[in-house]
Amino acid sequence: MGLKFLVVDDSVTMRRIVANSLKSIGYDSFVEAGDGREAISKLDSDGSINFVITDWNMPEVTGLELVKAIRSHNKINNIPILMVTTRGLKEDILEALQAKVNNYIVKPFTPQVLKEKIDQILASV
Amino acid sequence: MDNQSNMEQVFQKLGDLKQFFVFGQKIVPVFQKIIDFMHDIVPLLENVNNSIHDSTSKIPKAASQINNVTNATEVATSEILDIVDSMSMDMARIKNELMDLRNGFFNQRVALERFSEEFKPLNGTYENFKSSLSIDELESRVVSLDSIIRKIENDSSNITISLQVQDITAQQLASVNHLIQSVQKRLASLLFDLGKQTDAVLPGLTSSEEIDARSFNEHAEYDRTGKHQALVDTLINNSQKTSQEEIDKLFTK
Repeated sequence: MGLKFLVVDDSVTMRRIVANSLKSIGYDSFVEAGDGREAISKLDSDGSINFVITDWNMPEVTGLELVKAIRSHNKINNIPILMVTTRGLKEDILEALQAKVNNYIVKPFTPQVLKEKIDQILASV
Repeated sequence: MDNQSNMEQVFQKLGDLKQFFVFGQKIVPVFQKIIDFMHDIVPLLENVNNSIHDSTSKIPKAASQINNVTNATEVATSEILDIVDSMSMDMARIKNELMDLRNGFFNQRVALERFSEEFKPLNGTYENFKSSLSIDELESRVVSLDSIIRKIENDSSNITISLQVQDITAQQLASVNHLIQSVQKRLASLLFDLGKQTDAVLPGLTSSEEIDARSFNEHAEYDRTGKHQALVDTLINNSQKTSQEEIDKLFTK
């Protein structure tokens, strides 16, 4: 089965950049959500989503809260999660790892870094 | 004896009274100065009050202008991304055309070689004929065009990376806006204490316009050195070598 990504970011620009980057590295199946709440709703309604790329800082439900919600969900708790954020402090990275993100990218990123991290996640799950 | 004692008491009281008047003479100018000072300071305080009122009423406009900047840059970024998308599609089309041309040159070369095999007497004139068709030269031009297109693709990819600055600056502006809103709240509270009503100083700031502090990173920075990503990679590599319990320990330090 191919990968279907859920791209979660409150910035329209960033959603587009992530989507373009995914296309440039060969992935063209994805859906988008503007915050964590919408993401949870999409994950509940679309069972074909099998990879989440999420920002951290978002209104309503943050990316970190989304990660925790997914990991405590009994059906989708194993879905791979890649966090793409501006937060590059050590304590932020450790907090995300503690919440069990699979990998982490600090913005600004290149499509090559995105590919590298997706490949690493796919190799490890 | 009693009269003398009474008189002494009266003189003592008169002495006290005199001292009081002497003290009064000294203190009256001080009181006068205080009254003068109050006279001067009240309009000044009123000015300060009005200035705070004025500044507070301008804050929503400043916050709104910052939001406008964010929205404008988001629209502009979206337009640039549209152009980059359009360029990418054109590039893909040109690449396909060039691929067809390269295949065409290859087929022509094969056909020519077959032709020269079948018509041996043409040997000698074949090379001249092939040279006059300039297949090699045209093919090298196609290869050169291909490398230019790859460079343009790389450039447009770099434009896309640079456009991430919009999200980063939007977070920085949101952080400034959040700070401005905090100042406005403090000033509004001060105005309330000074007796001015806050309804006049909070135009345009509704609860829906209040910025959620979790929606931005105040430390967001546009840094392409890769130092933050290097830290991420180190921590992730270390975490893969260690247990979750150890990560939790690291985090709690």
